[in-house]
Amino acid sequence: MNLNRNSLRARVTAFYVSMLAVALAVFCFAVYGGVRAYLTNSMQRTLIHTAETIIADYVVPLDTKGQAWFENEMSESYPQGISDPFVRVTQNGKVLYESGDIREPFVPVTGLPVPSNSTELNRFRRVTTGTGQPLMIYAKSYAASRGAPILVEAGADMEPLFHLLHSLVVILLVVMPVILLGAAVGGHLLMAGPLRPVVTLTEQAEHIGRKELGERLSVIRSGDELERLSLALNRMIDRLEEALAHNQRFSADASHELRTPLTIIHGELEALLEIPGLDTQTVEGISSALDESDRMSRIVHNLMTISRLDSGGERIEMRPIELTSVLKTTLDHMSLLAYEKAILVTCDASVPVWVTGDAMRLKQVIVNLVDNAIKYTSEGGRIEVTLQAQEDQAVLSVADTGIGIPIESLPFVFDRFYRADKARSRESGGTGLGLAIVKAICTAHNGVVSVESSENKGSTFKVQLPLLHLSGREAALLESAPTPAADSAAEERIIEVPIKP
Amino acid sequence: MRILVIEDEPRVSALVKRGLTAERYAVDICADGIEGLEYFEAFPYDLIILDLMLPRLPGAEVLQRIRRKNDHVPILILTAKDSVDDKVKLFELGADDYLTKPFAFAELLVRVKALLRRGPVNRSSTLRIGDLELDRLTQQVKRGGKRVELTAKEYSLLEYLMQNPDRVLSRNMIIEHVWDQSFDGITNIVDVYVRHLRTKVDEGQPFKMIRTVRGTGYMIRRSMEA
Repeated sequence: MNLNRNSLRARVTAFYVSMLAVALAVFCFAVYGGVRAYLTNSMQRTLIHTAETIIADYVVPLDTKGQAWFENEMSESYPQGISDPFVRVTQNGKVLYESGDIREPFVPVTGLPVPSNSTELNRFRRVTTGTGQPLMIYAKSYAASRGAPILVEAGADMEPLFHLLHSLVVILLVVMPVILLGAAVGGHLLMAGPLRPVVTLTEQAEHIGRKELGERLSVIRSGDELERLSLALNRMIDRLEEALAHNQRFSADASHELRTPLTIIHGELEALLEIPGLDTQTVEGISSALDESDRMSRIVHNLMTISRLDSGGERIEMRPIELTSVLKTTLDHMSLLAYEKAILVTCDASVPVWVTGDAMRLKQVIVNLVDNAIKYTSEGGRIEVTLQAQEDQAVLSVADTGIGIPIESLPFVFDRFYRADKARSRESGGTGLGLAIVKAICTAHNGVVSVESSENKGSTFKVQLPLLHLSGREAALLESAPTPAADSAAEERIIEVPIKP
Repeated sequence: MRILVIEDEPRVSALVKRGLTAERYAVDICADGIEGLEYFEAFPYDLIILDLMLPRLPGAEVLQRIRRKNDHVPILILTAKDSVDDKVKLFELGADDYLTKPFAFAELLVRVKALLRRGPVNRSSTLRIGDLELDRLTQQVKRGGKRVELTAKEYSLLEYLMQNPDRVLSRNMIIEHVWDQSFDGITNIVDVYVRHLRTKVDEGQPFKMIRTVRGTGYMIRRSMEA
């Protein structure tokens, strides 16, 4: 499966990895904070304990046992140079004993400032030595019976503690991304299992949507939401198929019911016209009835076409079509209609434009749009037809300098039987379905048709169809196997001569 | 020439019979598929006109059964459906031609005649009616020996009219032959082209060959009386 960023699988994985990341981050902070607090506390406890032990064991009996005994005892318990924590006992600024420097790392105790006021007593203070070592020192004073209070300090180098914490941070920073990456990969792989039925279901549904409604999705017998989904989709396809079949049956029935009487009317009228010696008025009447029956036949025919296109009942033949040549041939075939009204038709379509579709139907779109433009443009007007490839769209536009469409009518011009200008269009003998057919054909080709218009200035109809991208070789290959439209164009070019007025 | 019409709509079959009889064909009518098959087996027909929607046995089935027994008899289908799929299916089943309802009788007649003369079809290189001459090889048209310049569509239109002299061709038939189905509903295009063709072919001539048949279509006449 590809790594589509919008796929459900990717999104679920991303969600779960980010949740995990948040949880891991919280965990890391907790671990760091906990370890740091624990180490600091235990150091502080040691310092307090050391200071209190010194006071109780050596400072209190100092008066009675003397300075020599004190120094002796102290150097035994807190040997010079190697005592950790280091200690210092001072009275009135005079050092009674100091354990001095610790071996490694070297801590120069001598020369550390002595707490000067009482606020620094019974508290921990942080001191940085001249060599940059961070120290933590606890000072406790003992009120001696003679002389000034004796100050006992116990201290430790904090560097090992910081070093430990630093290592912890490094470990956490390395381990967390590794865990997250592992979780992402694992999660993505794990999601494949539960999502596979969804992928299958989607592929099947797409296939059915494109091809045959007669097929059904294979139901996933898992008893979970997916089984319900596949069953629901199948029920929906059932309904769709039923509706479609109903529509087609109705179209066929309606078509038959309308066409048979129309055949009879037409036949009877034709037979009547054959009777010799009819007076002019009768001939006129019958002829006009025949015209109307013709129009009604066309309406029935067009309605059925739209209904079939809309319901998908008419399968559109989808093959590569070169629209530029179809357009030029079609305009050529219609040239006399424009010439009759002295309308100038210009065609701006120079490069081949390929689309996928039914040549006959696409031609019908052109015919209907151009015929419409001619109908609603007065004598001496202009019609501009352009066909261009814009990004991935083939854009056909038919612009006229005709009467235009009132703005309130614009949303409805593609509706069946909608007439913007009732009087005028009836006299022109249309069926009121031309634009509806255009829309149905465009929709069936996955395209759209739109209109812009300003009254008395003209209208522009624009058709957009998905462009077919062909390599030069493919296009050449297709051109050498001519489409019906291209074929007839070639055939007709042979004897085309300019029309003389 | 004997023609069998299998059509359940009595008024349609009556129309067809009346018209064809007037053209001196012998016509039998059957109102359902089974009866139609019985008639087909009992008599040798030159042509069968078959409606698709029939009681008792559907037209498509009748078509298949006839084809199983007889390859030659031309069969013209009448149908109320006109989707492309249906048409293709009909030809696959062995139909020779189809006509979508509603149709003009003139149209039916042209197709009947075309089917009956199949084989020696008139594909001669020159069509000649009176003093009007159309050369299919050079695609040149002459009236009274004088060259007439035509556009491609005018030429196709004239050729179609000249292939069916003295026969009324409806606008729909002309559209289908000379243009194609995408011009459905633009029947005024026929009127415009016929008018132009007429200017070129008939103007200044004492005998106007292209005649308008009101309500139906156009025809080309051999002589005044036709």
